[in-house]
Amino acid sequence: MSRWEYFLKRLLLSIPVLFLVITFLFIMLRLGPIDPVAARFGPEATGADVQRMRDRLGLDDPLWEQYLQFARDLLLFEGQSWVVQANRPVRAVIYDTAGPTLWLGFWAILLPLFIGLPLGFYAGLNPNSWGDYVASIGGIVWLAMPNFWLAVMLLAVLRQTDGGGWFGFDWYQLGPELRSITGTPNLDWYSISNVSVFDIVSFPMLTGMDWGAFAVDIKFILPPALVLGSASMAAELRIGRTAMLETINSNYVITAKAKGLKQRVIVWKHVFRNALIPLVPVITNEAFILIGGSVIVEEVFNISGLGRTFFLAVIQGDLPLAGSLLFMFTLVIIFLNILQDFLYTIIDPRVGYER
Amino acid sequence: MSDTTDSPTMAQDELADKPLRARIKENPRPALLWFSGVVILILLELGRVLGAIGTIGSAIRFGLSGLATIPNWFGGNVSDALEGTDETLAVLGGALVADTAAIVMLFALASVLAWFVLPWRLIDRIGFESTRRIESIVERILLTLVLVVGAALYAFTPVGTFINAEIAFAANLLDSLSSTIPSLTSRELIPNEGHRSPDGGWEGTFLGLSPAWAWAIRTTVVFVYALICLVWAWKGYNVYRDHYREADWTPRDDTIRRFRGHYWGIFGLVVVFMFVVMAVWAPAISPVPIEHNVFSPYSHEFDYLGDDGEIETITHGAANLQSQSNGQNTVSPMTYDEYDRFAPLGTTPNGQDLLTNLAHGAQTSLIIGLTAIGLGALIAVILSLITAYYKGVADILTVLASDTIIAIPAFLLVMLLSVIFSQGNHPVAEPLDGGLLLALILAFAYWPGMWRAIRGPSLQVAEQEWVDAAKSYGQKPSAIMRKHMAPYIAGYIMIYASLLLGTVIIVVAALSFLGLGITSPTPEWGRIINDGRSYVSTSSWHVSTISGLMIVFVVTAFNALGDGIRDAMDPEADVGDDAATTGGGA
Repeated sequence: MSRWEYFLKRLLLSIPVLFLVITFLFIMLRLGPIDPVAARFGPEATGADVQRMRDRLGLDDPLWEQYLQFARDLLLFEGQSWVVQANRPVRAVIYDTAGPTLWLGFWAILLPLFIGLPLGFYAGLNPNSWGDYVASIGGIVWLAMPNFWLAVMLLAVLRQTDGGGWFGFDWYQLGPELRSITGTPNLDWYSISNVSVFDIVSFPMLTGMDWGAFAVDIKFILPPALVLGSASMAAELRIGRTAMLETINSNYVITAKAKGLKQRVIVWKHVFRNALIPLVPVITNEAFILIGGSVIVEEVFNISGLGRTFFLAVIQGDLPLAGSLLFMFTLVIIFLNILQDFLYTIIDPRVGYER
Repeated sequence: MSDTTDSPTMAQDELADKPLRARIKENPRPALLWFSGVVILILLELGRVLGAIGTIGSAIRFGLSGLATIPNWFGGNVSDALEGTDETLAVLGGALVADTAAIVMLFALASVLAWFVLPWRLIDRIGFESTRRIESIVERILLTLVLVVGAALYAFTPVGTFINAEIAFAANLLDSLSSTIPSLTSRELIPNEGHRSPDGGWEGTFLGLSPAWAWAIRTTVVFVYALICLVWAWKGYNVYRDHYREADWTPRDDTIRRFRGHYWGIFGLVVVFMFVVMAVWAPAISPVPIEHNVFSPYSHEFDYLGDDGEIETITHGAANLQSQSNGQNTVSPMTYDEYDRFAPLGTTPNGQDLLTNLAHGAQTSLIIGLTAIGLGALIAVILSLITAYYKGVADILTVLASDTIIAIPAFLLVMLLSVIFSQGNHPVAEPLDGGLLLALILAFAYWPGMWRAIRGPSLQVAEQEWVDAAKSYGQKPSAIMRKHMAPYIAGYIMIYASLLLGTVIIVVAALSFLGLGITSPTPEWGRIINDGRSYVSTSSWHVSTISGLMIVFVVTAFNALGDGIRDAMDPEADVGDDAATTGGGA
């Protein structure tokens, strides 16, 4: 089987998976132990209201009609929030809360890449040195730290520095000034307007940047992003180290050394690029970690993003919103899995469905 | 042991397949010596062992009664659905469906019994002979019939009441025995709860020592006892290896030798061992009984020496609320509160003893972790055996199911399911304040990962010549899977189980940190961290800090143990790095 055939197969497989996810959500949310009407009204609903709501939600329709309606709502994101932002369409809620989460996720991917990878490569290039030990053990412990605890600790430490902490270090005053370290980032540092070219095509373009607000938002998001990225940082460190070690001991690197190439050329031209291959799944797998972790980090840092909205929807019994958000996260993961397969198909010719 | 030298020669002489029982009968001395050691160890802790047996028995009873409601649940659903049409039809249909469900369940049980448990076959007794397939089907049907008759006797005749009464009597007996028979580590033998006497000493504590020392002695006794148990178990394996094993060498010897040189893995093993001891002996390690301090603090009283030199009495609840050592309603680690109670790790913001909470929280985590991983690993192993052996449709279906579950972010899935079931007041959410529910959900969410992880090895082993040989020799598929494939996979699943246990502990803690999953009063590490969240930068720093460090330690240890097992099993193995992202999103 060629690798493109394999890729196509994986692509086709994601269609029944999508259908199964919808079915699973339908069984859990509609046929599960929670009564939708009770979730909507609370326990003290009167008979007439309940009947009206049952009619409105279509709970007395035949099951297959309910299923079709449910699947349609999920696929087109057409449901309505019940409790969290009552009666607003799910799409509007997602639109409002996606910004902070994307901003957080962006930095939570970037930070580990620029801290974890170099540390891992350093450790791999200098195996069994003190730096290697410190980096490796640090990575292992860092990996074992639960996000929620790390977030609580980091917040406490940063709050402690208000008004001058150790060595006069004050996180609030350092660089752009912050008044509070929890809350939702504003994200109003860009202005977008429609630009038209020759009066034919018109497209939105970034026209202005408020660099001050931009810097504030970056500083604001750094602590939560550091916490959210902690697990991936440790994973990247660990796998980066192994990959580097494996590559540096491979035959072609010895050949390169033997023909007298400079260490710098060997590292950057031969080792680095090949060591990146095993990191592809790690970086795409970060999505799992980020999506799960965003709930906790946003809750502790009080950021009203997608994760916190999902959390609120879950605990308040806002079934359509929770279902839609979970479905959206699932779509992201399915897409990323396909992307990962695609990248593999391109990067590494050895990967294939061969047994 | 005295005579370790004479056995290898004997073992070599007798390479013939003999059951272990016969081998022990031939040379009973080492086994008897070892076994008498076990008896002494059990006798020392008899009260606690009996209590544990009682707890396990009641857990099994709960599980069985839960299973017994399933047929009626099906029947009730059907009769509800039919209710609109015809009354008698509804009743009849419901009863029919309930009976069918019961028979199907018993048939499944019979199949399992026939496959794995029973050493003999019914059809051999009645002398029935036919082709293999028909024989096995008839066997299962006969077994089901026997079970149905048994179940009917139990459900519809006085026999059931009689059996129930017997079980209840046995449970009561166990209960009363376990509370009266002393055990080495009980708090009655080494009490640490006492109060200052007016003349300056301590009253009610062990040998009149201060509560701190009494507690330290009891904790030391617990750990020493547990260590001796571990050493004795290891000794038992050595006795088996030296005297009773038929082979001189097996690959497991090499695995153990490699593990002994793996210091990182040994570190993991030591910490995991301490964690397990803390969980199992939680009542002994707690300075105050959890019943008194946490579950019902206002119905238990204790004495203390008041300011005016009189012995006074106060309930735990009131003392918890009023005890302050640093102005914040908590007591710092390693100090006494005003009521002469010693808190080795301080108290929580609502005045409860932190170590009591942590030790019982370790119990909660361990029970959930073991149940979830055990169940998930069982599903994963069975499915991997079936998919690797049969391939084809079974394989595709499993791929679909696992892909579906993996595509949903695990942490959010667990969150949603736990809320749906606990808000819907499903009966499964009751035990352990949601602990059992959480374990089941985690097993559901994590089996696909484990199945994927062992898919490669199981496909490999299915291609081996010995499997082919067994097939052509005419062995049953179930026997091939059990005897020739499962042992090979067992090692791999252990690696992943160890790595995943860390994840499960973190996920459970994260959920209870968010106020989901396990609700109060069952103690859970994540909830303690949440309680102490706003005090981290104050003098009550210990609440969140110590609990969090415990999680970090235990999770690191499980990862280390997983690494150790992996390197010991197969130094060349290229597995485990995928699962190394422990903590996945929580």
